[in-house]
Amino acid sequence: MQVYLPIAEMSVDALLLLGIGFAIGWLSGLFGVGGGFLLTPILILIGIPAPVAVACGANQTLGASVSGLLAQWRRGNVDVRMGLVLLTGGFTGSAAGVQLFDWMRHLGQFDLAVSILYVVVLGSVGGLMVRESVRAILRRRRQAGPTRLHPHFWMHGLPLKLRFRKSRLYISVIPPLLVGFGIGTLSATMGVGGGFMLVPAMIYLLGMPTAVVIGTSLFQVVFVSANVTMLLAVQTGSVDIVLTLLLLTGGVAGAQFGAAMGTRLRGEETRALLGLLVLAVAASLLWGLLSTPASLFAIGPIPT
Amino acid sequence: MRAARLLPALGLACALLAGPALAQQPAPPPAAGARPALPTPPPPPPPPAAPAVGRPPLVAELSQSRIEITTGFSGTELLVFGATERLLGPGGDDVLVVVQSSPEPMVVRRKTRVLGFWINGASARFRHVPGFYLLTGTRPLRAVLPPEEREAKRLGLDNLPLQAAGTQDPEFRDALMRLKQGARLWYEDEALMQVSGARLFRARIPLPATTDTGDYQVSVLLVRDGRVVARQELDFGVVRVGAAARIADVATGQPVLYGGICVLLAAFAGWLGSVLFRRG
Repeated sequence: MQVYLPIAEMSVDALLLLGIGFAIGWLSGLFGVGGGFLLTPILILIGIPAPVAVACGANQTLGASVSGLLAQWRRGNVDVRMGLVLLTGGFTGSAAGVQLFDWMRHLGQFDLAVSILYVVVLGSVGGLMVRESVRAILRRRRQAGPTRLHPHFWMHGLPLKLRFRKSRLYISVIPPLLVGFGIGTLSATMGVGGGFMLVPAMIYLLGMPTAVVIGTSLFQVVFVSANVTMLLAVQTGSVDIVLTLLLLTGGVAGAQFGAAMGTRLRGEETRALLGLLVLAVAASLLWGLLSTPASLFAIGPIPT
Repeated sequence: MRAARLLPALGLACALLAGPALAQQPAPPPAAGARPALPTPPPPPPPPAAPAVGRPPLVAELSQSRIEITTGFSGTELLVFGATERLLGPGGDDVLVVVQSSPEPMVVRRKTRVLGFWINGASARFRHVPGFYLLTGTRPLRAVLPPEEREAKRLGLDNLPLQAAGTQDPEFRDALMRLKQGARLWYEDEALMQVSGARLFRARIPLPATTDTGDYQVSVLLVRDGRVVARQELDFGVVRVGAAARIADVATGQPVLYGGICVLLAAFAGWLGSVLFRRG
């Protein structure tokens, strides 16, 4: 069944979009991430123009994360104070990211920049996650209990300390602000909510307990992706609501199945699987950049 | 359904030409020196000179003057049909139909390898690139018109006015041509033209699912002895209608409102999903 996308100005098979939405939703429910980092490359792959794919990735992430956030909220797994600090950085970052988006489009290097960003970010995040979770799994086998809640390093000497009760942390607001800013920027340029980066950043950089990490990251993702959707709609007009709603219809169904399955997996194993998935996406994008393209030329409209 | 709509129109075209055409019949089509220059009255042979003035050598019409893109649009087909005064076919006249969309500026970028990565390198800008170009005819263009005439009338893909700004490397023009042809957006295909009764012609114009909105020009040319003797210009528009049009209008006209709606709809869809699929 073909459906016409008014902003992308093309017809796409609605069932294909529903299927993609379901698969992404399933993964996002399983890992507690929005799934934008998978969605945007897939949309580009099926021929959606990159700017529309990025904008839709952000919009879809918003919808997909809302149901996750509600579920986590009910379980009391959201550290609102930490979420607000992250969000402050996130809003500033996404405003900067939208400017970057526009600038890259003018340079004609938008697709390249998006791909390279994906490879670098996904590659390093995925690598870190796999390494850490494998270590954690091995440590658990050896039954060696950690003596401290989390390791202390230079970051804990920064000023402006704030107590985050739910996260059982007493740290400076500067690291969360920076994390929020960085993820907000990437969110606007890559069309991702940033959950897949936020989750490891909260665990390894901020030292938050895994239980509240997913809920708090969803809190940040929902508001940042709403902000990015809004900014992109105004500045570039590349948000396609028909595309988003089709993806979401499949996505919300998939997310519930994923979440049900996720509760049966251990934290380390979930992280290892997510890390592997992230690495796989990075590898396939890297291959796309390195392999000789079918056509050495590309045509496009002159950006206004 | 499309055929039914077409039939009365074809009948009309026939009726227009039938009367005078009967009188014309005995006169042999091969031009005996007397080029049918339209302003000058015809030489001796047919005594009734009056009908020749009002008689058009070519009549053409479109099956639709508006292509509507609805939410379910998946490509469509347009018909250009008409009739000629003289006989079409071997030894007789030929008809060419050119369909093109309004030209737009485009940029062609060449990928270059930098540190093992393929990135967009040098580029050429073309100011007037039709998004869609289709030429069909009773015979291939090369067989119908000599090169000078094709060039003068800017007919055929080889004669598209593609002047690059900046780089003059012909590689870019070739690449543009290749990519557009590969996407079936530019092509010459005489299989789309059908002639019946040596006087009625009908060209199918397939418009793909990715058809751009905008104005399209259709030129119907009557060719005799390697020269264009008559032409008719038609046009049609491709417009979005219904929900698709309203969405695009709001998105461009009121982006803040549109962005807000997108945010709320997405959030609502997410919330609805969590309510619908909630368990235990």
